[in-house]
Amino acid sequence: MTLKTELMDSIMVAKKEFKILFRKKWLVVPLFLFPIIMIVFFGYGMGGTVKNSPILIINDDTGRASSTLVQEIGSYTPKYDSTPMFSVTYTRDMSQSEAESKIDSGLYKGALIIPQDYSDSIANNKNTTLTLLTDSSDTTTSGVIINAMRQLLAKNGIVSLKIPEIYGNLEYLDFLTPGIIALTVFMGSVATTGSAIAGEKEDGTLVRMLMTPISKRSVILGKTIYQLILQLARAVILIIAAYFLVGFHMNGSWLLVALLLIVFTLGGVGMGIVMSSRVEDMESFFQLNMLITMPAMFVTGVFFPLSSVPNWMRYIAYCLPLTYAIDALRIIMVKGQGLNAISFDMIILTLFAIVTFTLGVRLFRREA
Amino acid sequence: MEPIIEVKNLVKVFNSRGRTITAVNDVSFEVFKGEIFGMIGPNGAGKSTTFSMMTTLLKPTSGSIKVAGFDVEKQDDKIRPLIGIVPQKLSLYSLLTARENLELMCNLYNVPKKEIDEKVDYYLKLVGLEKSADRYTGGFSGGMKQRLSVIAAVLHDPEILFWDEPSTGLDPQTRNVIWKLAKKFNAEGKTLIFTTHYMEEADNLCNRVAVMDLGKLVALDNPEVLKEKTGSANLEEVFVHFTGEQVRD
Repeated sequence: MTLKTELMDSIMVAKKEFKILFRKKWLVVPLFLFPIIMIVFFGYGMGGTVKNSPILIINDDTGRASSTLVQEIGSYTPKYDSTPMFSVTYTRDMSQSEAESKIDSGLYKGALIIPQDYSDSIANNKNTTLTLLTDSSDTTTSGVIINAMRQLLAKNGIVSLKIPEIYGNLEYLDFLTPGIIALTVFMGSVATTGSAIAGEKEDGTLVRMLMTPISKRSVILGKTIYQLILQLARAVILIIAAYFLVGFHMNGSWLLVALLLIVFTLGGVGMGIVMSSRVEDMESFFQLNMLITMPAMFVTGVFFPLSSVPNWMRYIAYCLPLTYAIDALRIIMVKGQGLNAISFDMIILTLFAIVTFTLGVRLFRREA
Repeated sequence: MEPIIEVKNLVKVFNSRGRTITAVNDVSFEVFKGEIFGMIGPNGAGKSTTFSMMTTLLKPTSGSIKVAGFDVEKQDDKIRPLIGIVPQKLSLYSLLTARENLELMCNLYNVPKKEIDEKVDYYLKLVGLEKSADRYTGGFSGGMKQRLSVIAAVLHDPEILFWDEPSTGLDPQTRNVIWKLAKKFNAEGKTLIFTTHYMEEADNLCNRVAVMDLGKLVALDNPEVLKEKTGSANLEEVFVHFTGEQVRD
């Protein structure tokens, strides 16, 4: 069989897959809508934009620098929203423990204590330390507050902020969007490849197709072409939706995103084939799929940075390819870096694709 | 007579969960060109396994099968275009229309593009499905699916037609249609090989019947000859004569 006929055959298989996909209306809609819903709900729900969060400023300083700072805090608006982030209550001469008890009682989400010598220190270029108390039971909001305070104080270089170490320097949505893209492409490619094959096994159509002269390679290639187009389309729609809905800005190269997603999708398709070769029907596939993709969703840092998880969890994450895809997408899309910066991730993902694909082709037998 | 299928010392062993099962145990036979060849036997006799090996879906553990002169292990890609298979499972895409299912099969079997429309129309009409051509097959009745499944296997005009339990679960009308089709295809020069549990079907259609039991071939001859040899009134009695009364696992 020549390469050309194999290629033509695989395009025929891909066409068939699309035809059937678009007739499953209740599959197409969630396929594209699910990631968008995730971004909107998680993005806002998990604190992408904290609005009018009540905070207390205890200003024991009477100088000019502190009043400027207080004003800045009061009028601070986050990147993706025009509503002020804080609703500030001002006071003075309050002890730290008193402020803590007010946060405990839920009156405030945070309290900033400006020491008496703040303005003097700024004027004399001396180091000074502000204390920021936050409601640690609400990790998301406190994360956002800390983040915002850091940005505000960064202008006055020598001011340091005494706070517990968490979140990095990003707004949550910047952080979330690449993660969601990697996650949906991963879950999508594994689940749609695997369930389609498991379903065709159940119906007997796969065996019937394999009884015909078409080569096994063409069947797999056809399914892969279909997945590549489908997953890239989902990613593009998601990036565009994130831009319009939550104002996400793509800082890096589209081409690089596409390249990374192609490699990652290949791995996902391979994994779907491997998984489907172990089961006889759809139901078993979905149970297996849950077992494999659900933990990946929570361990790999889609929703929170890996730096904030315990070591044992981080080690698990390093074993999962999704971790590297998320990392690479964040580097490209948020930091706007090039191929050099993601070369390690790319190597890992390429290996993942090679291993699962080789294994998939071997396990995908005619003896279905 | 010219053999079109040659099975020699065929063995198939399955290893599953620590158990070794010899599904087909040293079976040899020939199928002649142009005949209708039936395979009967109790459940688990090894019919389906033999069937799968002849259709290139399973590889023999040992022994050999030649189909139209080609070896099933080494030249399966030469065999596949020459054979048509009607699987026991109906195996149609439920979200494709009858016509689209047939067009897909035409493409898979490399039927020339310009012949596809004509062939599809001809066969749809042959089995009386022309009015349902553009409906999704998911909504078809069992009989309609069976008729469609049969013609899906002959679009590429195969020399040999394999047919796994053609009339299981069908009403008498549909069964009648299926039998007529079998005779028609045979008259056109195709060799037919089928498995069945209906002795009447085997008796009616087959030039020769192979009786299998416990992985072995226990008898092979013309139905009339088998009846005579065993002093039986019908094929049912022949069947019991060779395979006993006991229910198989």
